[in-house]
Amino acid sequence: MRGPTAGVRRPGTVVVMTETVSEPAVTGTGGRDTAIRVRGLRVRYGAFEAVRGVDLEVLRGEVFALLGTNGAGKTTTLEVLEGFQRRSGGEVSVLGLDPGGERDRLRARMGIQLQEGGFVEELTVRETLELWGRLAVRPDRPDRLLERFDLVHRRDVRVGALSGGEKRRLDLATAVWGSPELVVLDEPTTGLDPGSRRRTWDAIQELQEAGRTVVLTTHYLEEAEALADRVAIMHEGRLAVSGTLEQILASRPAGFSATLPEGVTPPDGVELEGRTVRLATTDLQRDLTAFLTWAADRGVRLSDLRAAPASLADIYHSIRSDSETDGTVEDAASRTASHRKEA
Amino acid sequence: MDRITALVSSELRLILRNRTTLTSVLVVPLGLGVFLTFSQIGSPAYVVAMQLIFALGMGVYVGGTQTLVARRQSRVLKRFRTSGISDTGLLVGTVGPAAVLALGQLVLFGLFDVVAGLPVPTAPLALPLAVVGGLALVSTAALATSIVTPTAERAQITTLPLFFVMVAAAVIIAVLPAGGWLDALALLPGGALGALSRIAYGAPWSPYVLVSLVVWPVLFGWLATRNFRWDARVAVA
Repeated sequence: MRGPTAGVRRPGTVVVMTETVSEPAVTGTGGRDTAIRVRGLRVRYGAFEAVRGVDLEVLRGEVFALLGTNGAGKTTTLEVLEGFQRRSGGEVSVLGLDPGGERDRLRARMGIQLQEGGFVEELTVRETLELWGRLAVRPDRPDRLLERFDLVHRRDVRVGALSGGEKRRLDLATAVWGSPELVVLDEPTTGLDPGSRRRTWDAIQELQEAGRTVVLTTHYLEEAEALADRVAIMHEGRLAVSGTLEQILASRPAGFSATLPEGVTPPDGVELEGRTVRLATTDLQRDLTAFLTWAADRGVRLSDLRAAPASLADIYHSIRSDSETDGTVEDAASRTASHRKEA
Repeated sequence: MDRITALVSSELRLILRNRTTLTSVLVVPLGLGVFLTFSQIGSPAYVVAMQLIFALGMGVYVGGTQTLVARRQSRVLKRFRTSGISDTGLLVGTVGPAAVLALGQLVLFGLFDVVAGLPVPTAPLALPLAVVGGLALVSTAALATSIVTPTAERAQITTLPLFFVMVAAAVIIAVLPAGGWLDALALLPGGALGALSRIAYGAPWSPYVLVSLVVWPVLFGWLATRNFRWDARVAVA
């Protein structure tokens, strides 16, 4: 189990992937129970299909991040999981229950942070939490949450007068009220300053350490990298990729680059940008070894040698480019399999 | 029940804090009702019918619609649906405070009527029936009207047609002599309130009254059950 900050995966860390995975990213639960299972989910708003056949699984005790652009279908998907949105098609199981027909049973076990709003602005922070305490199924203490989310000094302030960050903290406080089995957070750190964001991350990691399942949506790639055990990226209503961060990163080519001395001709098939060699590869170890062996055999002194896997940002942007180019998206596992065949 | 009580008391606190809401659901209906009492315009049945319409129509129907839409717009309804309160309890807790205030107003109107020397009703049981039936009518109408009301401000407009129909039906029935085909006007929304006020002061019972008391709440309730929107955006299955 990770500590509050010790296990955070820092963006920019270079990880050399030596092999790709063969298991589909959305399956392979490793023996752990499934908290959420979605198959072929579709949701329509009139003529517009907001979610177009999404499959995903979330394991108990993990943090699952759902990424995507605005309008990708993240919030709609969450709303189906929460039982707030009717689905046009597909099967959904959350904690073993169908949120469409068993929302009453489900909400006793689930905490939800909305994307925005949801508070009576004329009530004070304390009144809001006290009212929530009287409405909630699970017991908890307003004072504990005021302290946990650094709102003690604002307890007598009306919600309408809180800053955006303070409202998000209050929102999170109601979501984790009574420590539910499953916590669904819709863009929990949007609009927060770095300090508030860090506190929110700590709170999410505390939930995970307590064995709670967390599903969150976010626009921030570094947030997904820092918090999530598994990630899915939605685009235009479909799940473009999903899996562990490692699986997703392995599904895209890694890259390395180096600058050659003047007069040195690169290996066959390798193009130069100025004096710089740039290569994308699905087998970084093999291809980098081959390149270094080539340089060593010829006594070529390389400068600015760099190697890195694809970043989540690369993948995120390439998904958008792919769909804009050919209108198709595919699962990380499919990409992985096709890259393995190519290799 | 504890959850509904918690929500009702919270909403009542909010009404008392917000001057605009306080004015529209409490001060204006109360003022108009008191004016009717002491100005002695029209028959006793007319005065009572108008008091019922002001308290229930303005306070519960218009005020309740505004509150429902405002809570939906600000996503408070959605958030509270993630708590332990049932959907029905949430609606009762949201519209309930306006109903509580309306009942308080009606009690005050009764006292003022006695003080002003209005005759005592000969069939007083018709009045509790009018209050209960009226509450059912305006509460379900508020739920139904909220479906077609995008913003709380727009509720001032979307509630107008039905509000005027209720006022007109109640007034016309209350002032018309009983008997004849015009009794069928009691079938209009609010008509039963005028008819029951008239019955309280000696007019004969009419089957139209009971039909109206049942049909409109059932119709509005059915519409609300089918189409009520808890959130601004709703998927079409």
